[in-house]
Amino acid sequence: MTEFKISRRSVVAGLAASPVLPELAFAQTGTPKSGGVLKVSHSTSILTLNVLQNSGPAEYLALDMIYSGLTRLDRNMAPQPELALEWKGENSAKTFIFKLRPAVKFHDGSAFTAADVVATIKAILEPRTASPARAVLDMINDVVALDPLTVRFDLKSSYADLPVSLAHANARIVSEAALKGPLQALNAKAIGTGPFMQETFDSARFMRLVKNKDYYRPGRPYLDAAELYLFPDLAAESTNFLSGAVDVMLDVQQADFKRIAAAPGVQAQRVPSGRFVNVVMRRDSKPFDDARVRHALAMAIDRPALVDLVLDGLGQPAADNCISPGYRYLVDTPVPKYDPQAARKLLAEAGHTSGIKIPLICSNRPAIRAQVGVAVKEMAKTAGFDIDVQTIPHDTYLANVWRKGNFYIGYWGMQPTEDAAFTLLFTTNAAFADTAWNNKEFDDLVAKGRETVDDAERKRLYAQAQMLMVRDRPSIIPFFQDVLTANRTHVKGWRAHPLSRTFYTEDVWLDRA
Amino acid sequence: MRDLLRHPTGVVGASLLLVIFLAVVAGPSLAPYDPQSFHPQARLQGPSATFWLGTDQFGRDVLSRILHGARATVLFGLGATLAGVSVGALIGITAGVAGRWIDSLIMRLLDGMLAVPDLLFTLLIVTVIGSSTGNAMLAVAVAFSPGMARIARSAVLSVRTRDFVQAAIARGESRAYIIGAEVLPNTIGPVIVEASIRVSFAIMLGATLGFLGLGAQPPSTEWGLMIAEARQFMFRNPWCVAAPGLAIAIAALGFNLFGDALRDILDPRGRR
Amino acid sequence: MNAAYFVRRLVAVLLVLLTVSLAVFVITMILPGNAAVMILGEYATEDQLRALSEELGLDRPWHVQYLGWLGGMLAGDWGMSMRLSLPVTTVIGEAFWRSAALAAGALATVSIIAIPLGVAAAMRRGTGLDLGIGLFAYLGTAVPEFVTATLLLIFLAGPSSGLFPAGGYIPADKSLPGFLYHMVLPVATLSLILTAHIVRQVRSEMSDVLGSDYVRAARLKGLSEREVILRHALPNALAPAVAVISLDVGYLLGGILVVEEVFAWPGLGRLIIYALQNRDLPVIQAATLTLAATYALSNLVSDIVIAVLDPRVRYA
Repeated sequence: MTEFKISRRSVVAGLAASPVLPELAFAQTGTPKSGGVLKVSHSTSILTLNVLQNSGPAEYLALDMIYSGLTRLDRNMAPQPELALEWKGENSAKTFIFKLRPAVKFHDGSAFTAADVVATIKAILEPRTASPARAVLDMINDVVALDPLTVRFDLKSSYADLPVSLAHANARIVSEAALKGPLQALNAKAIGTGPFMQETFDSARFMRLVKNKDYYRPGRPYLDAAELYLFPDLAAESTNFLSGAVDVMLDVQQADFKRIAAAPGVQAQRVPSGRFVNVVMRRDSKPFDDARVRHALAMAIDRPALVDLVLDGLGQPAADNCISPGYRYLVDTPVPKYDPQAARKLLAEAGHTSGIKIPLICSNRPAIRAQVGVAVKEMAKTAGFDIDVQTIPHDTYLANVWRKGNFYIGYWGMQPTEDAAFTLLFTTNAAFADTAWNNKEFDDLVAKGRETVDDAERKRLYAQAQMLMVRDRPSIIPFFQDVLTANRTHVKGWRAHPLSRTFYTEDVWLDRA
Repeated sequence: MRDLLRHPTGVVGASLLLVIFLAVVAGPSLAPYDPQSFHPQARLQGPSATFWLGTDQFGRDVLSRILHGARATVLFGLGATLAGVSVGALIGITAGVAGRWIDSLIMRLLDGMLAVPDLLFTLLIVTVIGSSTGNAMLAVAVAFSPGMARIARSAVLSVRTRDFVQAAIARGESRAYIIGAEVLPNTIGPVIVEASIRVSFAIMLGATLGFLGLGAQPPSTEWGLMIAEARQFMFRNPWCVAAPGLAIAIAALGFNLFGDALRDILDPRGRR
Repeated sequence: MNAAYFVRRLVAVLLVLLTVSLAVFVITMILPGNAAVMILGEYATEDQLRALSEELGLDRPWHVQYLGWLGGMLAGDWGMSMRLSLPVTTVIGEAFWRSAALAAGALATVSIIAIPLGVAAAMRRGTGLDLGIGLFAYLGTAVPEFVTATLLLIFLAGPSSGLFPAGGYIPADKSLPGFLYHMVLPVATLSLILTAHIVRQVRSEMSDVLGSDYVRAARLKGLSEREVILRHALPNALAPAVAVISLDVGYLLGGILVVEEVFAWPGLGRLIIYALQNRDLPVIQAATLTLAATYALSNLVSDIVIAVLDPRVRYA
């Protein structure tokens, strides 16, 4: 059994980037061989190939193979050159000049130029596109092609992390020609500049991608093709993987991880990540308008036990601070102890002497929401919380509960920067704000932190922001999940990434006789 | 009753049902632990002196959960079948008694509903009205009614031509009397037989819906849901899947055997 | 049996399908949660949802939508899958044949196994063999498919035994042996339950026939036991058995949903579950109608077969 545990550090997003450095994150065991077909199994459908809009776990893999962005985050979360070779911030990070990689072709043979970048960014910024990347790029005021290989970004205010934002999984570059047509056409047909091209796409079961012979990294990709197989049944998927029918299992369930890691011929990987499940307590409605109730619930959850029970130990307890270990500007916020007696007292102080009875809504996708719900219900019982766990279909949840209900379970992947994490959910104008926190002090701290280019100052601002989160508790974040994946030992170069949206598939090769 | 005991299938069926009903009635009081409480130090253990059937992924006692879940699972089957039988019998008797064009119309509608397989029918309904134990029961009841209606109708039709009914008509008895005193008692037999067999199908349908996530929802202890939740862990502790699976089989088998024995008694030459 | 009977039955089938189409359509119309939300996901804006709803025609009055849809279906245009961006006919066509393969495999297995088992049990009434077969038959009908499928997965496809693939599918034109190999476990799961049903039926029919005057007369005539069974008993027992087999097609069509989901076999059953979960309305409608049509037509075929086997049969 081999288990890789990669520690994460993020490096300050540089204002300038050095020329292309080869990716040496791992010592290569042997010389890469060309050829072969990589078989990957996944349990969630690839519903769309529209890289500006997708959000499914398996979709990130497929689109990461087909499309490239201007930059790409390496495993230390630092932006590396991709379609942009170098970039320079001017005017204290209010203007950026990006120099693009020459002689790059789209899969249909057309040339990649600055016009494609401009068209893509403009499409992302257009609200009607409903792109998740918009939230991290909305500081862009204008984007202009200075010449076919140079792009200038004019920002509304200073933002040192623009290169990081441009690495967003939904900010990959689509050709101007494709964007001239209807956006829906991109759902089924993907033409990018990445190492693999779309060959077959059957959303209900199977996708095949073949090597892009004109990929701009010479000698890559090593693989001839990649095949993605949908196994909606998790038990069948893991059995199938262990029998050797596929080479990689994209997402391993916590329940199976130890068993899979112990199997012969298998390499299981886990990477600490900032992915979390949170308990949303909406502040503008009873009973969560009273801070004491929120703090009481926070004390009524045994976080280390939750990590054991729900994550099978594959994660770490969290303290309601959305910044996980591994972010550069993390401040240590101690995990609240499980103290149901103190919680009960606090509830009584808030006027709930006989406890609180309240429904907790969990979407059925992914299943971990209901598992956390059930565990929280049981743990908070002795503190006086009588929680009625209700599981509903995901689309009903999206339509009726998300951002509308006052007590439900959320599920969020890791964001590339602290700013992205704060502005995802917790600032007043956050893209998906649902806690009604609306805290001006917090907003100001985040806004100032975004514009600061002085590292020490940024650290101070972000530290204060985190302390505010813990003091006010807009939602309960009980743990951070590890990202889990597994591959057979003959697969080289397949590495887990904490953001689980970048896969470096051009570095994957098969060591077979 | 004595007839029942002469049939070995009847005896076995009745004994199984006795066990099941014991669980339904007294299950929660017989359970050694609270079915929802966690024992985090004892997760996914096989059977032991402390936990007779082992524990699940949260450290909950499997035996207690099964005893508690008997109500959810079995009453689901009984309730859904009862509802389906009542509605179906009503429709079927109406069709059989009314005759001519009402009968034809109802039969066409029933044929339409019967053309969709049970599981698919319930899936469609549950997708529309939402997933919960109650909704799943409603869906199964609706799916069962056409079949029951058919049986009731054919029973009525076969009785209609019999001498004693003709005699009653000749005597000038009222419609209501004929239905109440002559037709109904003779249709009850086939309906009951079919119903008791259907309970086992309802239990299995309910478990399948729970398995697909469209029936009972966590933290319910319904047996199908228990299997669904335990599947991820089935290689670590197969008892989490085997125990509820066995429980479902016992319940379904009990009703099945009982119904078969009933049929042999009430209608020895009858066909399904 | 004459042509008029056949035509009458066909018309009945068409009427039934019309009813089903209406019912399914109504059901999909009142699906909660909104197809547009499912398609566009959590990041969609209000404007965008409205625009997509308009484009999909979800805002027109329902009877207009129904007639439009029905017209399209009859003309062969089954619309586009909302999620797969493929014509519904393509999607369903491919899925149908894959399910048909499983169904054919199950029916073949069942015919080869169940009928002889039922006959054997009837002939050896009251013996250990009869009881054994009876027990198996009863158990088979009391265990839901997902339990059987799970157990088969653990015991026959687990890493320790590795006898069969744990699900998945290889197109027959790519590799016939692979295709058949992946079929074994799903077919086995389906067959188990069907075999149990049919064994019981055949056993009880055979018992009745064996005790009938007709067979007694044949025996008295001095015919060999084998002749009695094969030429006199079996044909009479088979007619109702065929009826049961056709009833079981309905059961098969239901079981296929769960089996395909567990074994990741991309047939019509998996497609329906996927379409329901993702609110892909055109696929839900067309796939349900296809299943219903298959069921109705198979009933028709079995009715004809029974009528051929037993000319005394007449249905109103």
